[in-house]
Amino acid sequence: MSAGPYNYSYIFKYIIIGDMGVGKSCLLHQFTEKKFMSDCPHTIGVEFGTRIIEVAGQKIKLQIWDTAGQERFRAVTRSYYRGAAGALMVYDITRRSTYNHLSSWLTDTRNLTNPSTVIFLIGNKCDLEGQRDVTYEEAKQFADENGLMFVEASAKTGQNVEEAFLETARKIYQSIQDGRLDLNAAESGVQHKPSQPGRNTLSSDQQFNKDNCAC
Amino acid sequence: MEDNQEEVLEIFTQDGVLITTAPATYIHYLNNVGTLLIVEYPNSNLTRCIEWKPLDLTIDSDVQDQEWTVVSTVERRRTYSGSLPVDVNRSKHLKINMNDIKSFRVSHKNQKLTFRDGKGDNVCSFIFQHGNCDGLIAVLKGILKTIVSRRDKHVYCILDDIKNPERQQLDKSFAELNLFQEQSSAYVWKFVKNFPNRPYEATMEAFSKITDIVYRGPEHRLMDSEVHNILHRSLEAIENNTTTHSHDEYELIAHVPRLPALKEYPRGRPLSFEQWKALQDSEGQVEDVEAVKLVIFRGGISSNVRKEVWKYLLDYYRWKCSHAEQQNLIKQRNEEYFIMKLQWRSMTKIQEDNFTDYRERKSLIEKDVNRTDRTLDYFAGDNNPNLQVLYDILMTYAMYNFDLGYVQGMSDLLSPILYLMNNEVEAFWCFVGFMNKVSSNFDMDQAGMKEQLQHLHTLTAFYDPEFANYLYKHDSANMFFCFRWLLVWFKRELSQQDVMRLWEVLWTDLPCQNFHLLICVAILDTEKNILMENNYGFTEILKHINDLSGNIDISTVISKAEGMYNQIVDAEHLTDAVRLIIGLPILGNTSIVDSKEASPDISDLTTNGDTDEVSYENALTHSFL
Ligand SMILES: Nc1nc2c(ncn2[C@@H]2O[C@H](COP(=O)(O)OP(=O)(O)OP(=O)(O)O)[C@@H](O)[C@H]2O)c(=O)[nH]1
Ligand SMILES: [Mg+2]
Repeated sequence: MSAGPYNYSYIFKYIIIGDMGVGKSCLLHQFTEKKFMSDCPHTIGVEFGTRIIEVAGQKIKLQIWDTAGQERFRAVTRSYYRGAAGALMVYDITRRSTYNHLSSWLTDTRNLTNPSTVIFLIGNKCDLEGQRDVTYEEAKQFADENGLMFVEASAKTGQNVEEAFLETARKIYQSIQDGRLDLNAAESGVQHKPSQPGRNTLSSDQQFNKDNCAC
Repeated sequence: MEDNQEEVLEIFTQDGVLITTAPATYIHYLNNVGTLLIVEYPNSNLTRCIEWKPLDLTIDSDVQDQEWTVVSTVERRRTYSGSLPVDVNRSKHLKINMNDIKSFRVSHKNQKLTFRDGKGDNVCSFIFQHGNCDGLIAVLKGILKTIVSRRDKHVYCILDDIKNPERQQLDKSFAELNLFQEQSSAYVWKFVKNFPNRPYEATMEAFSKITDIVYRGPEHRLMDSEVHNILHRSLEAIENNTTTHSHDEYELIAHVPRLPALKEYPRGRPLSFEQWKALQDSEGQVEDVEAVKLVIFRGGISSNVRKEVWKYLLDYYRWKCSHAEQQNLIKQRNEEYFIMKLQWRSMTKIQEDNFTDYRERKSLIEKDVNRTDRTLDYFAGDNNPNLQVLYDILMTYAMYNFDLGYVQGMSDLLSPILYLMNNEVEAFWCFVGFMNKVSSNFDMDQAGMKEQLQHLHTLTAFYDPEFANYLYKHDSANMFFCFRWLLVWFKRELSQQDVMRLWEVLWTDLPCQNFHLLICVAILDTEKNILMENNYGFTEILKHINDLSGNIDISTVISKAEGMYNQIVDAEHLTDAVRLIIGLPILGNTSIVDSKEASPDISDLTTNGDTDEVSYENALTHSFL
């Protein structure tokens, strides 16, 4: 099987979730374009971003699904969790309500992804220290209690943005190495070698078996 | 069934199974995750049932949030066989007698299983969230005689119970007839059995097999003469049957419905200032509203009269009002606006602190105003006063329609209106007019959006069953990839100028209601080759459609949609389901809810994908009710 001119060996699907206006799209743009797009329109449905990164010498393509935050649209956005290998759950450190809603986002994530999905909690807008409404400590505790990785970040300054995306990838990669993440399982959210058209990450299982021998 | 005293044999159990279609009695279970069982009641004549019980009988009350849930995770468990005392809760199980099931279809990479009755209607469907339904199919094959449908290899037809002695006899007599690769007797059986009810489908399937034998089957096959006779007689019967008493039906089914050819409908010139003035009388009343609308539908509105005409289209001005009456109305509306504006403007700090709903609404609007069309000159730059106007109008609208409040997407709808009017009060009332047309897009429960997606699917399936089927097979029959198009009427896909043109065309309600859905169908029709040739799946379809933003030639699309509209209304097989969507009187000779309407393709037991999905969508809608 010809692998084609792909310069990466895995695709990881990420989903970014959290209340409206917490800065999900800005985090995505900061990560993919290294720019702060302060007035990008609110997201309707879902938008995509990609970037190729390297973990342990392996090139990995991140396929990032940036979802709409408003409660009313959750019915639609819920259909996008399926098969995510990583979930970035974002709140805004200057708005407590966005922090209070985390448990419901977490419930959705746990219910709609698989047990090996890596969940990373991001407290965004940490450049706005003066307007802080949620302490680092309490969020850290929430993260620890729920087994989540956690950083405070700023889509504006770029602080910790790379870290959050990369750390998630490392954790996923590790799960693959440890065999905790079963690539053969449907909806692992990881694809070995790029998508054959028509085979999205959701059907990585069959695809993987074929690709496996090519490398 | 008084199964409380009975012994129960659980032949198969699997957790993590989402139920997406169910008989009406069990509608409350829809879209819940639970355990699927195949159960045998040895004391009641070996009755077998498909049963399903919710994960927890006290189901999460948050139904609204569950409505579109596709997957959910629960612990894995799978067991085969085992005799259990009857569970008291058993009476609450969804229960379907296996004898009522005549076929089942496997789809979604073996994660979805749909059981169907003798008419080919879906009885219940399940999504296996862990792994797939292969285990269950293996079990079903063990207890039932099944054959794979020739038309659709994902469909298993169930033949009579394997334990039926009569069956065994006949099986034997057909056994020597090694015509078919798999289970020949079963095949012939199915044919004979199906024939009286479904002469056309049964025949077609049989013929296709027989063609195999005749043209491809080598001579070395010895045909048992007895069997040969049976086949021969059956075929004779078919001929008689179809040519005589069910002639009409035969014709009807055999006719593969085709749409008339797509004709060109060139776009016209926009409504000009002169035209507009000519259509008003000296008092300023517009006599022939339909004539105005027709011109607008054909070519839009010239920019020098657009501002005025929009006020009529958006019900701010009345078509049949004299200048004097108009002035009066304007005065009233003006006062009304400022009363409402004052209501929120006069809110004290303490009032606000005690009014969480209001504060949340306000912060939502603030956030969105700051990210609405900031790339357009009109809204660009820090402290742009137009942003303040945008904010004020949205806040006032939230007072005007407190139940609806502010929902994301509204600022997109207001932005072009404000840009054009460049006047707070006028923009407000025009926005009210637009919202009256599309407020269901913003329903709390999203019922309006769901209905439109469903209608879009029905139209797509009618216009192009093959494409609808493709979407179905690629997890996309829910049409979610068109969500953004529909929510803000292509605002995110088109330039400011184009979106204004499209909106004014759509506001005429010509040539039919819901013409915006035909705009979707037209764009999809243009893209479908790319989607299908590349064999795009769920993700790629979504991405491709998202990426069309900025690359849609709206004039071409409108003109194509008009052509499609004419193809559809001229179609001989136009169904009531479609008539209802485009606002034509229904004929009532076909049932509207019959999901098969969505597709002219009514072939054998297979039912194609879109049918399946329509009932899936229906189920979703029901689950919400
Ligand atoms: N100061 C500061 N502002 C930020 C930061 N990230 C985002 N913002 C601002 O927050 C607002 C919302 O950001 P978005 O990225 O659009 O929010 P979102 O989470 O994608 O929102 P939805 O698409 O509505 O769900 C924007 O106006 C940004 O300018 C940050 O790190 N610091
Ligand atoms: Mg966003």
